[in-house]
Amino acid sequence: MAGSTDRREFIKKGAGTALGAAVAASLPASAGAGGTTAGRSAETIYKGDTIVTMDDKRRQVAAVAVADGRIIAAGDESEVMKTRGGATKIVDLGSMTLMPSFIDSHGHFMNAPQIVRWANVSGAPVGPIARIADFVPVLQEHVRKQGIKKGEWIIGFGYDRTNLAEGRELLASELDPAFPDNPVMLIHSSNHGAVLNSAAFKLVGYDESTKTPPGGIINRVEGTNRPAGFIMETAFLPIFGNMPQPSERELLDTLDAAQQIYASAGVTTCSEGATHAKDLAFLRKGAAEGLLYLDIVSLPLILDVPAFIREYAPDFKGGPMELPDETPQAFGFYNKHLKLQGVKFALDGSPQGKTAFWSQPLLTRGPGGEANWRGQPLFPPEVVNKALKEVFDKGVQVWCHCNGDASIDMMIDGTRAAGVKAAQDRRTVIIHSQCMRPDQLDAYAELGFSPSFFTNHTFFWGEEHMTNLGPERASFISPMRSAIAKGLTCSNHTDFSVTPMDLMRVMWSAVTRRSRAGKVIGPNERVDRWESLKALTINAAWQLREEKDKGTIEVGKLADLVILDGNPLTAAEDRILEIKAIETIKEGKSVYRRKT
Amino acid sequence: MRTTLPFTVIGGYLGAGKTTLLNQLLTNAAGLRIAVLVNDFGSVNIDAELVRDHDGDTISLANGCMCCSLVNGFAAAIGEIRRRAAEFDHMVIEASGVADPAKIAQYGQMYELPLDGIVVVVDAEQVRLQATNKYVGDTVIRQFEQADLIVLNKIDLVSAQEQRSLRAWLAGLAPGAPLIETTGSKVPIEVLLGAHEGRVPRNASDDRAPADSHGDLYQTWTIERVAPLTSEAVQRFAQGLGEDVYRAKGFVFLQSEPETKYVFQQVGARWALEQASDWGDEPRRTRVVVIGRAGATSVRALQELVEGRSARPVISIVSEGAGDRRQPAS
Repeated sequence: MAGSTDRREFIKKGAGTALGAAVAASLPASAGAGGTTAGRSAETIYKGDTIVTMDDKRRQVAAVAVADGRIIAAGDESEVMKTRGGATKIVDLGSMTLMPSFIDSHGHFMNAPQIVRWANVSGAPVGPIARIADFVPVLQEHVRKQGIKKGEWIIGFGYDRTNLAEGRELLASELDPAFPDNPVMLIHSSNHGAVLNSAAFKLVGYDESTKTPPGGIINRVEGTNRPAGFIMETAFLPIFGNMPQPSERELLDTLDAAQQIYASAGVTTCSEGATHAKDLAFLRKGAAEGLLYLDIVSLPLILDVPAFIREYAPDFKGGPMELPDETPQAFGFYNKHLKLQGVKFALDGSPQGKTAFWSQPLLTRGPGGEANWRGQPLFPPEVVNKALKEVFDKGVQVWCHCNGDASIDMMIDGTRAAGVKAAQDRRTVIIHSQCMRPDQLDAYAELGFSPSFFTNHTFFWGEEHMTNLGPERASFISPMRSAIAKGLTCSNHTDFSVTPMDLMRVMWSAVTRRSRAGKVIGPNERVDRWESLKALTINAAWQLREEKDKGTIEVGKLADLVILDGNPLTAAEDRILEIKAIETIKEGKSVYRRKT
Repeated sequence: MRTTLPFTVIGGYLGAGKTTLLNQLLTNAAGLRIAVLVNDFGSVNIDAELVRDHDGDTISLANGCMCCSLVNGFAAAIGEIRRRAAEFDHMVIEASGVADPAKIAQYGQMYELPLDGIVVVVDAEQVRLQATNKYVGDTVIRQFEQADLIVLNKIDLVSAQEQRSLRAWLAGLAPGAPLIETTGSKVPIEVLLGAHEGRVPRNASDDRAPADSHGDLYQTWTIERVAPLTSEAVQRFAQGLGEDVYRAKGFVFLQSEPETKYVFQQVGARWALEQASDWGDEPRRTRVVVIGRAGATSVRALQELVEGRSARPVISIVSEGAGDRRQPAS
C-alpha cells in the first residue's frame, strides 16, 4: 500500500468530504479520463440488485464505482453512473451479490505456505476422506499435482480416525503397496499424532525395538512389536520436530498459493495472529519482494517482540517481556501489504485440548487423566500483569488469547491494574473469548475489550463442549448475542488452519450454532445475519483500526470487494454453506476468479 | 539415538530461587560440565569473566558449562544439546513458574534422555500465599506432588514453628520426597545432580560447603560388595533408604546378568536400574554412593537393607563420614 497516504489526502480533499456518494456524483467525474485531480472517472462500475454495503445507515445500494483502488461512488445507479468515463468497465452483477470482502480477524497465515504443500486428508466438511480406501487415491493425486519424487516425504494433514467409516486407525500396511518408496506422514487433526507408513518408520528409525516413550503412544501390529502406523504425543512430537524444513525460497514460492486460500474464500485481509520472529522475517522478505497482494496483519508474540524490535532500538537490552520506547514506531501501518498491528499475548490453551484455563473444573478428566481438572495458565499472573502494563504504557494494541474464564479473569485483573478504561479507546482484542461467564461481559465493557469470537466451535466441537463443560457453560461459549447487547464490538474468526478458510461457515455457525450432530449449542446466543456478517467485515476492520478504509462499501474506502454466487442475508439457512466467492477484488484489482 | 546424558528438571513457582540455584550451578560446577536450559536469559547473571562466548541463544562458560535459552522452543534447544551430548555430563532444565515439571520431564524423556529427577524449589515465606492463589494455587501444589526432591528455600524468613509446620504440610503433599531446608538456594551439587563418576573432584563437598554449615548438614556413605546382588535386594535397598536420604548412585553387579554392568540411580523415591555396558576387564562389584542428611543412615543400616534379615553379611565398609573426606565415587 505504498502511496496510500497520498490517496488518503486526495480522498479527504475530494470525493470523501462529507456526503459520500452524493458528493462524488456531483463532481465532474464524467468529464472523461484524465480529468482534474478531484474528478476521476471510474475504472469499474458494478451494478446489480444485491449490493450489500455492511453500512448500518444504508444497507444496500444499486451501484458502486471504483477508481485508483478506492470506492469513488456508491448509491443509486443514476448517481453512480455519473462517474462513468470512456474507459469505464461496467459489471452487471445479475443475480450475484457484491459486498465488502472479508477480514479474518484471527488465524495463522503462516500455516498456509505449509498447508499448500500438504495433502488434505480431513473428513467432511473440511476434506475428502470418509473411509480407509479414500487415502491412497487422495495421496496419489497430491503426489501428481505437487510433482513429489521418489524418496520424498508425502505429508497429509487433518487425519482423524473418527472421520472413518471403519472407526479404526489407518495402518502402515494399507499405505505401503501404493507408496513403497516414499515416506508418508498423515498428521492427526490435533497436530499431536500421525500415521506413518513403513518407509517413514524406517527413515525415522522406529522398529520393533523402539520403546514407547513416557506419555507417548505407538500402536503395534497385533501379536508383534512392530509399529502399526499410528503414533501420538511424545512418540510423535520429536519426529515432527526433526522433519526436513522447506527452504525459505520454497516457502516464498508458495506465497501465491497461500494467499489464494484466502482470496478464493473472499478474504482480502489475513491474520497472522501469533507471529514468531523468524516468521516475521520471512513475511518481511515476501513483502519486500512484492509477493504479497492481500493485506497481512501480523501480531508478534510478546516473547519475540524484543528480537525484532532491535531493528528500531539497536541499543535495547531489556528482557523478553520489556519493550523499548521506540516500539510504537513499528506498529500500525502497511508496508507492501504487511502490517504489525499489536502485540500478541496468550494466557491459556484450547478448550477441546483441555488446556484452556477455567475457574471451575471440567466434568471430565484432564488431558493426562487428572481429576478435577481446570487447566492452568501459561504464565503466572505477576508476569502477565507486568508485561501487560509495559505494552499498554507504550500505547501498543494488545491482542490476547483467552479461552477459559479464568484466563479471561487474569486478563481483566491485569488490564485493570494497568489503569486501562474503555474511554481510552485502546480496542484491546480478546481472541476467542470462548468460555466466558456472563459477568465478564460487563468487565469487557468497562475496559474497552473487544471479543474476537470463535463460533465455529459450536459446530466442530459442540458435542465435546457439552460433555466437558456441561450444558450451561457450553451454551455460553462465544456469546455473541449477549456481547452485542452489552454494546461490545464483536468479530468472528476461522483461527485458520484450526478450522477451514470458509467465512460462510463462520457466518453460518454464528447464525445457527448447530453442532455436527445437529444440536443447537446455546440458542440464545444466535445472532441475525446482518450482525454475523458485520463480525467478518466492519467490526473486524474496527479492531484493526482500519474502519476508515475497510469493512463497508462507502465512498473513500478501499475497493476490497467480493462477488458471491448467493446472498448470505436471504439464502435459506442450509444454503449459506454453499455460497461461494466468484471473484475477489483487492483495491480494485481482481485477485481471484472462480474457474467456470 | 539414545544418549546417556542425564537431565534434572528444576521446578517451582516464581521467586522460589530457581534462578539463583541455576546461577550457582553454572558458576560453581565443581568440574561438572552442565548444560542448563532456561526460560529467561535476562535473569541469568553470570560473571563476565566466566563467559567464554555469548552467541544469541547460548552462553558458553570457561568451565565447560553452557546456558541455553528456551526462547526458540524446547525442541530446538534440546536438539542442540543432544547433538553435543558428549560435551556435557548433565543437563538441567528450568521449568517455568507455572509449568508442571513432570511434563517437562516427559518432554526430555521423549528425546530419549534419561531422567535423573525433579527438584522443586519452594519459597518458605511465600508458598502458603501462592498455594491459595486463585489462579495458580492448584498448579503450585501439583508441582510439589511431582517432586523427587524438595528444596525449601529462604527458611531464614520464617519462624522455627512455621518451618516445622511447612515440613509437615509438604510431606503430606509429596510423600516420599526428601525435603532439604536451606537459604540462598544453597544445595551441594551432588545432592542436586548426583555424584558423577570421575568428574567430581576430590573433597568436592568440602570445597563447596560454605564455611559455616554444610559439612554438618550432609553426609555420604559408600557401600561396596563383591558378591552379586539379586534384583530383589536392589529393590529392597532402593525402597528402604527413607526420606532423609536424598540420592544414591553407583554400579550394580547383578546376579541374574553377571556380564552386564548396571547403573543404579536414585533421587528421593524415584529410582532406576539400567544397563550401562559389559564389565569387560573391570572387576565386578557393586559400589553405590549414598547422600543424605547427616546422620540419616549408616553403612550398617544400608548393609542390612541390601542383605535382608537372613542374609549373611558380605559387605565391606569403604567410608562413612561427614562431608565424605574421600572421593565419593571412583
